Amino acid sequence: MNAESLPEWYFADKEGGTEAESGRMLAAASYVRKTLAGIGRALANELCSPACTVSWLGSVEARAKILGLVLLVFGTTFVHGLVPLSALFASAVVMAWSIRLPMRRLARVWIGVPLFSLGIILPAVTNLVTPGRDVLTLWRFDHTIEIWSWSLPEAITVTREGLFVAGRFVLRTLDCVTLVYILAASTDASVLIDGLRRLGLPEIFGMVLAVAHRYIVLMLRAAEEIYLAKLSRTIAVGSLQKEQRWAAAGMGMLFRRTHYLAEEVTDAMVSRGYDGELRIRSKPPIKLKDAAFVLGAVLFMVALVALDRGIL
Amino acid sequence: MSRTIFDVENLTYSYPGTGKVLNGISFTISEGESVVVLGANASGKSTLLKLLDGLCFAEIGRVEAFGETLLENSINKQFRKNVGLLFQNPDAQLFCTSVEEEVAFGPLQLGMSESEVERRVADTLSMLGIEHLRERPPQSLSGGEKKKVALASIISCGQKVILLDEPNAGLDPRTLQWLVEFLRMLNKSGVTLIAATHNLSFAADIADRALILSEDHRLVYDGTIDGALSDLELLLSVNLAHAHSHRHGGIVHEHPHLHEVAHDHEHVE
Repeated sequence: MNAESLPEWYFADKEGGTEAESGRMLAAASYVRKTLAGIGRALANELCSPACTVSWLGSVEARAKILGLVLLVFGTTFVHGLVPLSALFASAVVMAWSIRLPMRRLARVWIGVPLFSLGIILPAVTNLVTPGRDVLTLWRFDHTIEIWSWSLPEAITVTREGLFVAGRFVLRTLDCVTLVYILAASTDASVLIDGLRRLGLPEIFGMVLAVAHRYIVLMLRAAEEIYLAKLSRTIAVGSLQKEQRWAAAGMGMLFRRTHYLAEEVTDAMVSRGYDGELRIRSKPPIKLKDAAFVLGAVLFMVALVALDRGIL
Repeated sequence: MSRTIFDVENLTYSYPGTGKVLNGISFTISEGESVVVLGANASGKSTLLKLLDGLCFAEIGRVEAFGETLLENSINKQFRKNVGLLFQNPDAQLFCTSVEEEVAFGPLQLGMSESEVERRVADTLSMLGIEHLRERPPQSLSGGEKKKVALASIISCGQKVILLDEPNAGLDPRTLQWLVEFLRMLNKSGVTLIAATHNLSFAADIADRALILSEDHRLVYDGTIDGALSDLELLLSVNLAHAHSHRHGGIVHEHPHLHEVAHDHEHVE
């Protein structure tokens, strides 16, 4: 093979848009790439970042930790008052601080999740959903509006009861999300999944969770590589339709890769003796410290419910 | 005389929608042998290893292991205790959430007691010098570390026959040298090794015998590794060696070329 083997078009000027056009299009592509890469990186960071296991909570056995924290999460449904719910939130923040959980990571959760829940609960603050004492009038109608047998009130207002319902909902969400985040951030994924198995999660679900956690990052990287491979050969970006077609093809390619990898993983499991019935090691005994953690969670929840009901 | 481990006769296999990936192959492998399956890409090496490991089954012909024909319903725990496969892609092999779990997976599935599993995990990690990786999740390991952990996951099962699919792929020189020495040690200890590769230098380092698959998926050579490597015509015909020109200093010359194997040549320019 020699230099003459290259076809004459190889060094000819390339066609494909003016420099300005190409620049604009590539800038748009770069924005998409950065967004995709950002989402991928955030997911990979959350899934792969080491847990804060060097803390008093990190040393609690996984089963006890799951039981204690999930108990607190369920307990929030028995608490109605804003004050006890705020107390629970404050306690969760202190717990997060005591195990040196990076507050920046927690703040991301606090911003995203309550905003989302606020969006869902927003209609409930109005008298359309929660009648009560008006606090603010949003809209007043000139005439009565009837929809089938249901008639709208003369004005749409924000009610005190509605605000209370929304506040309770958002606070409960904040409490639950913070507690679950503390559980996930203070326990390695493998230990957490193992703890769930030992608490009675069916083995097959445990295995699926473990394998999904193991491979999701690999697939994220594969998706990014597919996109980068395309980008490295992109001089001008095509129409939206073409881009959509490419994205669909990329998804298909990733699905095929996933399918192939899944077959390989199954073969690797079978090769080492897996026959459909997964065997795991027996449960280590619960220590006094772990039992104390669960008991502490129970007592704390009872105290909150008592405060909520006015018993304390 | 060593007993026969595998007896393969007229083996033919194809995947759905493709042509034959193995075509009428016959050979036997005895206990304690170290064999390499050589062949160009897509010659059927990996498929052959999967057939020997009972992960897929002969369409035509038969594969006999330890005197019994391998059929889907005949694979039992004893077979799995005897034969292990190291996959080419360590990411496919390492599916557990930590190295320790990975190494314990095989012994647990093979029904060993907890104390035995503990002992095997500790011994295997120590033997491969990877105790420090015990708690690490597989996705955080380097390529060489992944390969060692994948090997550990097979070794802990104590299998007497180990199949290796491109075990040298993607390894740096130091890890590759470690792997060669480790495989030699295993074979000297009585473990039967069957490795698929297209790296002739690696093949010469670990094996005494070679099976060569041609690009039309037939077995074209079954003999000593030295005999295989000295038959340049054969290696050229199966795409394991090639003729090309290259440059040493200012001199360009051309000759048949075996990668990573010393060769004689004459300058043509």
